[in-house]
Amino acid sequence: MDAGERLALQFDVEQFFYHEAALLDDREFRAWLDLVADDMHYWMPIRRTVTRDNLDQEFTKIGGMSYFDDDKDDLVMRVEKLEAGSAWSENPASRTRHFVSNVRILETYRDEIAVEAAFHLYRSRLNGKIDHWIGKRRDRLRRMEQGSQQEIQPGFQIFQRHIFLDQTIIRSTNLSNLF
Amino acid sequence: MLAGTNSQGGVIDGDRLSSLVDSERGTIDRRIYSDPDIYELELERIFARAWNFMCHESQIPNTGDYFINFIGEDQVIVVRDNDGAVQVLLNTCRHRGNALCRAEQGNTKSFVCSYHGWNYGLDGRLLGIPGQKNFYRDQIDPAEWGLVKAAKVDDYKGFYFATLDPGAPDLHDFLGDVGRTGMEVLLAQGEVVAVDGVQKNIIDCNWKIAVDNLFDWYHVKISHRSAAKAGFLNPRMMMPMDQMVMLGEYGHAIGGPMISEAQQAEIDQLSDEERADIDLLSDAERAKLAPRINERRPVRKKATAEAMGPVGVRASGHPNIFPNLWISTRGMQVSLRLPRGPFETEVWWFTFMPKKFTPDQRRGAMKFISHSFGPAGLLEQDDGENWSQSTQSSRGVVSGRIPHNMQMGLGQDEVLEHPLGQKRIETRVNEHAQRWTYKCWAEWLRADDWDDLMAMRSPSPTGRI
Repeated sequence: MDAGERLALQFDVEQFFYHEAALLDDREFRAWLDLVADDMHYWMPIRRTVTRDNLDQEFTKIGGMSYFDDDKDDLVMRVEKLEAGSAWSENPASRTRHFVSNVRILETYRDEIAVEAAFHLYRSRLNGKIDHWIGKRRDRLRRMEQGSQQEIQPGFQIFQRHIFLDQTIIRSTNLSNLF
Repeated sequence: MLAGTNSQGGVIDGDRLSSLVDSERGTIDRRIYSDPDIYELELERIFARAWNFMCHESQIPNTGDYFINFIGEDQVIVVRDNDGAVQVLLNTCRHRGNALCRAEQGNTKSFVCSYHGWNYGLDGRLLGIPGQKNFYRDQIDPAEWGLVKAAKVDDYKGFYFATLDPGAPDLHDFLGDVGRTGMEVLLAQGEVVAVDGVQKNIIDCNWKIAVDNLFDWYHVKISHRSAAKAGFLNPRMMMPMDQMVMLGEYGHAIGGPMISEAQQAEIDQLSDEERADIDLLSDAERAKLAPRINERRPVRKKATAEAMGPVGVRASGHPNIFPNLWISTRGMQVSLRLPRGPFETEVWWFTFMPKKFTPDQRRGAMKFISHSFGPAGLLEQDDGENWSQSTQSSRGVVSGRIPHNMQMGLGQDEVLEHPLGQKRIETRVNEHAQRWTYKCWAEWLRADDWDDLMAMRSPSPTGRI
């Protein structure tokens, strides 16, 4: 890949992440689901405070306990729940802002791209509750056939989102939002 | 006898303690969810006195494996020592009080204090003091300055508990019939092993609001409506009409759906293999094959049935080991509700899998479990919201003066006694277990010590209730 191609890919991936973040923050959850591939693995392990010689125990592994371990159907269920007026943890609706930065393309193979990025999810809930979740994501994206040339948004679908929080005990009442 | 002294030296009048819970009227004084003096008294008279759940043996299988837990707000190290025994040690150096362990879990050869280097063995013995000769001039006896150990440590079939109070009865007697029946739910599928990872999050609610919710089959239909709408909960699970409640001494209780006598009689005819097969069937297949065995109820093996007793085996609700250990219906999870001041609770979820589960069974169980509870759980998301708002909206000056209503089913039911001694209430959705929990809670607070508590505690109720 020459420098021009790398620049273009970097640009496309970042623009895709910003587009995705805007959908979540604008509560366009159905439109967000369109960006999720059918073989999605959406996972957030448990992180623990450990000493340096026990760093192998810092994160739970796949198959262990986690906070999220979702496939696409599970995410559809979460969205259906978010949309129900009776999802009390999200009605009144939370206000969120997803920030994505430090985007690094780690690997590309055919139409697939492995990306690591830092995120900051801010949530303001009711009148007095503020939550921040900061961490890194390891995403895998798949480039989709471009529909029409007029499409401004780069065409990717996410088929892996692994979320590593920079906190151990979750200091919020719940994790009722999408990362 | 009736006056409780809290750690600040303030005295809470015994009459006031007695008036907080009116089990005759079914009302609760809201100040029990906000009063800092009552909270301090809870730490002293409930948590520092009771047997508290520590962890499962499989979480610390090897010498030097440790896991940090809490008894109230006292931090303890649960560690496998060189003899293979489980020790429960206060996580505080005897010199200046520094925490010996600052990780949540791990493996170590000894506990060395990061402040001045006092070094303790896995059994809590003080092995070395830097400067013992030069600075202390050998005028210190390390034997006197080991880590403080829990007064008693014991396990129920691999589930470890500890108490800081030497006056406590043995674990077996503390649990009593109802507590032991509740623990057996965890072993209904045979021996288990802990799944790596304890989910932990902080909910801004009083710990008792979280505890009384576990018996609550009234909230499901409303609180969890969105989970049902999204297809996660079977609507028939939402409010099962046939309920059984078992009330045990010291406040242990089991409340929720039941297996009827007729259904259990049918299960009793089956071999263990047939029971296992039925338990694995889908709802629809199960309804066809065994129409009288309610499709959502556990089909327990013979050994479990025997251990749970003729009444206990029919309970498929939620046990609470007083004060704060919830055992989930299928027995694959327990939740600790750790007090963090009157307005905060740390909720911990431990997960266990039967050793003989196939990878498929394990995957299926893990999928349901990881989507139910914990902060991202489709159920607990909304529970947290309600517990938080119930706590916060009960604490205003005038809001705090009016009582909570806990009257559902009060005086409407009869305690039935099985010839072999187990007691239960068979009824519809109710608040018997919640009333019992708070009644016992008040007794724990009023008692000066274990002897006092043993003398004054209410026996498991009989007759009209």
